[in-house]
Amino acid sequence: MRLALPTFLKTTTFKLALIYSAMFAAFSAALLVYLYYSTVYYIRAESERRLDLEFEQLGNAYFTGGMERLSQSVLERMTRTGSTYFYYLEDSSGRKIAGHFGRMPTTPPTADVQTVYFEFRQQEPDGTEILRPAAGRIVRLRDNGGALLVAFDTEQQTAIVGRIQRAIFIAAPIGLVLSLLGGILISRGAARRADELARTAEAVMGGELGRRAPVRGSGDEFDRLASRLNAMLDQIEKLVDSTRHTGNAIAHDLRSPLSRLRNRLEIALSEPMSRESAEATLEETVEEVDRVLGTFNAILRLARLEAGAEGERVRMDVSELGEELAELFDPACEEAGLSFKSQISRNLTILADRDLVGQALSNLLDNAVKYTPEGGAITFSITRGPNGTVDMTVVDSGPGVPEEARERVVQRFQRMDSARTHPGSGLGLALVDSVADMHGGELLLSDAGGPPDMPGLKATLRLPRV
Amino acid sequence: MLDTVQEDTMHVLVIEDDIEMASFIEKVLVEAGHRVDMATDGDKGLAMARASEFDALVVDRMLPEKDGLTLVKEYREAGGKTPTLFLSALGDVQNRVQGLKVGADDYLAKPFAPAELAARVEALGRRLPVEQQITVLKAGDLEMNLLTRKVTRAGQKIDLQPREFRLLEYLMRHAGQVVTRTMLLEKVWDYNFDPQTNVIDVHISRLRAKIDKEFEEPLLHTVRGAGYRLQG
Repeated sequence: MRLALPTFLKTTTFKLALIYSAMFAAFSAALLVYLYYSTVYYIRAESERRLDLEFEQLGNAYFTGGMERLSQSVLERMTRTGSTYFYYLEDSSGRKIAGHFGRMPTTPPTADVQTVYFEFRQQEPDGTEILRPAAGRIVRLRDNGGALLVAFDTEQQTAIVGRIQRAIFIAAPIGLVLSLLGGILISRGAARRADELARTAEAVMGGELGRRAPVRGSGDEFDRLASRLNAMLDQIEKLVDSTRHTGNAIAHDLRSPLSRLRNRLEIALSEPMSRESAEATLEETVEEVDRVLGTFNAILRLARLEAGAEGERVRMDVSELGEELAELFDPACEEAGLSFKSQISRNLTILADRDLVGQALSNLLDNAVKYTPEGGAITFSITRGPNGTVDMTVVDSGPGVPEEARERVVQRFQRMDSARTHPGSGLGLALVDSVADMHGGELLLSDAGGPPDMPGLKATLRLPRV
Repeated sequence: MLDTVQEDTMHVLVIEDDIEMASFIEKVLVEAGHRVDMATDGDKGLAMARASEFDALVVDRMLPEKDGLTLVKEYREAGGKTPTLFLSALGDVQNRVQGLKVGADDYLAKPFAPAELAARVEALGRRLPVEQQITVLKAGDLEMNLLTRKVTRAGQKIDLQPREFRLLEYLMRHAGQVVTRTMLLEKVWDYNFDPQTNVIDVHISRLRAKIDKEFEEPLLHTVRGAGYRLQG
């Protein structure tokens, strides 16, 4: 974690956080400036409005009762509790008639109506005098020559504006710092989760194949990424396991034919032989090698299939393929002393690789022919399966596969002991299973319902219909 | 050992870089009675194929200088007509299709049996030009009319199932040549997979029962370790 700073400074999230805080700052500044000016403007406008009101009322007094009524009104207002206004009324000769001040606190105006700003001395309760700012308006009285001043203390206004300014100057940097901190925290969180993923990847690379990235259950992008990564690791682990298993199985399964080959050749070398028996030995040897090559080809095919390298899917009529295969296998069954029945529903289409599905079905049929004793029966059917699928089923009356062995027989090289006497690579059902997987279907094995000693096998390749 | 007809010799160009494989192919083809020229890389092979008239080309997919696909493609684009067989360790359907697309006539995956190679090269040589329309195929006293779909032997009518008809048609088109089980699967059934059970043998024996049983001289022969041959 000592290196956390440089790491997170480089992250995209941090850069984003930086951009966000810059945007946040700009937005806040604009907002605060707007707030400031609109408040100041509002305060000014409000005071103007209230001054207007004062003058209107005092003007009414003057128009109805002349100077006398006006001075009375001014005096009334001066004594009114809670009034925030200052007044000063003088006559045409400049003599004070009424008011807060001893004389006009500012130079007399040149116009009829004039806004004025001034300062005045105020006695505090403790006897000291302070200067206070004020603003107001002086209006010259018509027909009289006197003048009326109405003013208010601007200290309060200034205080409000000052407070807003202070608030802005304090809030802005705090907001900026907070947004930066938030960005840093977020980016550190993201960096930490990315680190977790990286550490998982490193552990897996280091050989810890079972290691998985932590999923927090928050459902965010990192969780989704982690679960995808885990799914990928599951798949890889499965593949590696299967490769490992296959490697062992190849070694095991090929050792016997290769040793047989070796022995045969050894004997051929050591013993003097007639030309005929030498030829026979060589022919047997070639056959043995062909079987080994066949197994290798099957392994390669399966490996490529599982790696997803093989297969070109097209929309194909599986009923048609079924009819052809039935026609192809029917005579072979008869030859082997088996009765063969086929029941193919028409017009069933799937999205699949024709050769792979053909190979898979051939494998099922071939197994049935191989393992069913003479006099038995094989049924091949292609029908609609449940939930929009096609069931391609081969049922035989052979020894079947016991329930506990079913999972095993679809694995590579897993053959039941009873099957070891029959020719075959032990890859037939594994290939069917892979083909099923690859096409999003499944291979189902069950008893065919025969007598306990010969239950028969029902093998169904179930693929999605289109 | 290889029971092939040696009546007319083909001149075959083999383009293969693996010396051991090349000499094996040469041996198989010479034993089958053909004349063989060799090239060990793509550039030389293409130059030789262009320089003289061969009856067939056998081309490895993976070659130095110029790979097999490109070689055949360029050869065909320049107007080369000689029938071509691809040899390749890449035996998947896609690779096969790719090979046929660029203009090869047949495709054989390694490893292969010598008889298979010999049969396929033979089949290339006898490939009938497409333009030439043939309506009646003949092999000995066996006759097949492709238009009426009637088959007779010594004037006697023989009833065939559609598949049997196609099987016999292929055999008759390659009368006198060895035809392997894989070739039959590929050309008659259009299968690029191995059905494992001896299905082809059974179909052949049924066909044999129909065309040979009541006649003295058998026409359809099994060639041990290779396939079948319909006597011409």
